[in-house]
Amino acid sequence: MSGNLHQAGVRFLRLLGRHAEPIMDAYLSGSVADQALEPAVEERLVKDGILYRPEPGADLHLRRAVRALLEEALRDDRNRQIDANTGSALATFKTLAAHYKEARHQGDYAAADAYLGELREHVYAFGETLGHGIRVLWSRINNEFGYVGTLNAKIRENELAQSQVSELLAGLELISFEELAETAGDLRELRRLLVTSLQRTVSACSQELSVVQGRLLELLGRFRQIRGRTRLLKGWLLHMEQQPDYRVGNHAAQPQVPQLFNQAPAILAAAAADVHNPLQEAVLLALVAQARSLQPAERLSQAPGEAGEFVLGAAEDFEVVANPIRVAVEAYFCRVIDSGERLSALEYRAQHDLPWEAESWLYQVIGGYEGLPEEQKECFELAPDGEHHSLYSGNFIIRDVKLCLIL
Amino acid sequence: MLSTRGQVIERLLRGEFICRTSDEDAWRFLKTPANREQVDDYLATLNRMVAAVGGSGEGDVFFCAYRQLGEDERGVLGQQFRDVCAALSPLVEWLVLVQEAGAQDAPLTEGSALRLNELQSIVEDTPAFREQLARISHYRLFGSTSASVDGQIKQVFKKLCELGYLVRPNPDKQIYLGTGKLDYLYEVIRFIDESEGLDLEGRAEGAGQGSLL
Repeated sequence: MSGNLHQAGVRFLRLLGRHAEPIMDAYLSGSVADQALEPAVEERLVKDGILYRPEPGADLHLRRAVRALLEEALRDDRNRQIDANTGSALATFKTLAAHYKEARHQGDYAAADAYLGELREHVYAFGETLGHGIRVLWSRINNEFGYVGTLNAKIRENELAQSQVSELLAGLELISFEELAETAGDLRELRRLLVTSLQRTVSACSQELSVVQGRLLELLGRFRQIRGRTRLLKGWLLHMEQQPDYRVGNHAAQPQVPQLFNQAPAILAAAAADVHNPLQEAVLLALVAQARSLQPAERLSQAPGEAGEFVLGAAEDFEVVANPIRVAVEAYFCRVIDSGERLSALEYRAQHDLPWEAESWLYQVIGGYEGLPEEQKECFELAPDGEHHSLYSGNFIIRDVKLCLIL
Repeated sequence: MLSTRGQVIERLLRGEFICRTSDEDAWRFLKTPANREQVDDYLATLNRMVAAVGGSGEGDVFFCAYRQLGEDERGVLGQQFRDVCAALSPLVEWLVLVQEAGAQDAPLTEGSALRLNELQSIVEDTPAFREQLARISHYRLFGSTSASVDGQIKQVFKKLCELGYLVRPNPDKQIYLGTGKLDYLYEVIRFIDESEGLDLEGRAEGAGQGSLL
């Protein structure tokens, strides 16, 4: 008989292997359409219990057992099912133990051995299932429920996991070792299986489960904190929208100032350099060297530029007039750099009595800003002042521009 | 070179917040009770002490507080409190903008990274965010007068770095990290919420459900 079983099993596994493609398709997409399979193959797979049709007219789905096998082998996150049915496992243990005892009593050692083997298989499988359940929980904790998108979904997943942990723990509590010891009686093999080995498994599992539970609670706390913060922000905005004239009460004036608002202001100013300290000489020298290299390049290159102009003019009577308006624009930019403040172009023009018309002056300033090299342009910000045209949309009339330094 | 203790005291006296992100060494130093006591003793001469906010977890943030409060100190604290309250709305709006633009579940907190370029491109592509940013950047706290998204967002980030809410670990990259001061901000809002009974969380939850209906 076992030879038959063996052959049938091998045939089944071969069948799985031969149709690996449609099976994996069904696993990934949830179902496989009728048209995708040849009728003979489909019939075969359905007959051997790999695929089934949940209701007439529906597509074919994978059987739960095959799906579980794949989930386990692929360590798939979607696998959330945990078998917490300790009661039926215990009942099986007891039944098999009774069979074994009876067979021994009657002297039928072959049957007793067979029962013992079966019992052993069940006890090990029980431990395996528990271990698997815990592994599944850990894998979910370790990626922080990353397989669902929103925070609320994560909180729900976490609650599901917690209920599973509680169920598992409740299941473990069902196991009464006294009762099992009684069942085992003085049979050495049974005792070893039902008491020693099972106890070891159960205590290891319950220890690990309590760690899992702790981690789950911690995660839940964190999720809730994050959600609480989001809600605080949104709530604050709503509150300010509904009551725009709301003012916070002066909590700093209470006799006992909350520590949150007791914050001393800065009192430390920068210390000055000590030029008489020989130890700092190297550092100071380096600073001085840096200070020189920070001077704008134009100021250094200006002197040779002027000299060249003078020589050329004398020799050939050739006029290279530096455009005065451009020079004025440069002076305006330098002024902004020196003061570091926002400066209106028209105000500057009025202050310095510049002879050009307002419009051409503004054009020149804007042109001067646009003409700067990219890296210098980043240091300035040109903010136009003006309004949209009252009739024609898309037209922006610039009345004035303001230049400021952003560093 | 200063010892860690010196550095910690210097930072505290400069009015800075010390958290894990802004200065991990100093933060670890203060986490040790004995070290914190030493710093406290030193600061006692200046009528100051080390204060911490943020529960017992990893999220502690340290700053310098007055030890005893006289009239002058109260005046300073009152002004500070008014500043904090005035800054709340702009900061909250900005945090919500960042969270919504990034389509994230969690608001910005200590240690979370923020890429200016990514945020900018999202804001530029979405008119609603553009409007929000324009409104936020024109608050007095940020004080931008720029009309372009680029100018506005840079000004906001610059200001946030100055205020200590963000740090920029690498000056060559436009990647910013939130500091513990953000956590402090949440604590302030929570405190106001609790002490004035505003029920902000309940309100937000109710609104969320209302919009679903």
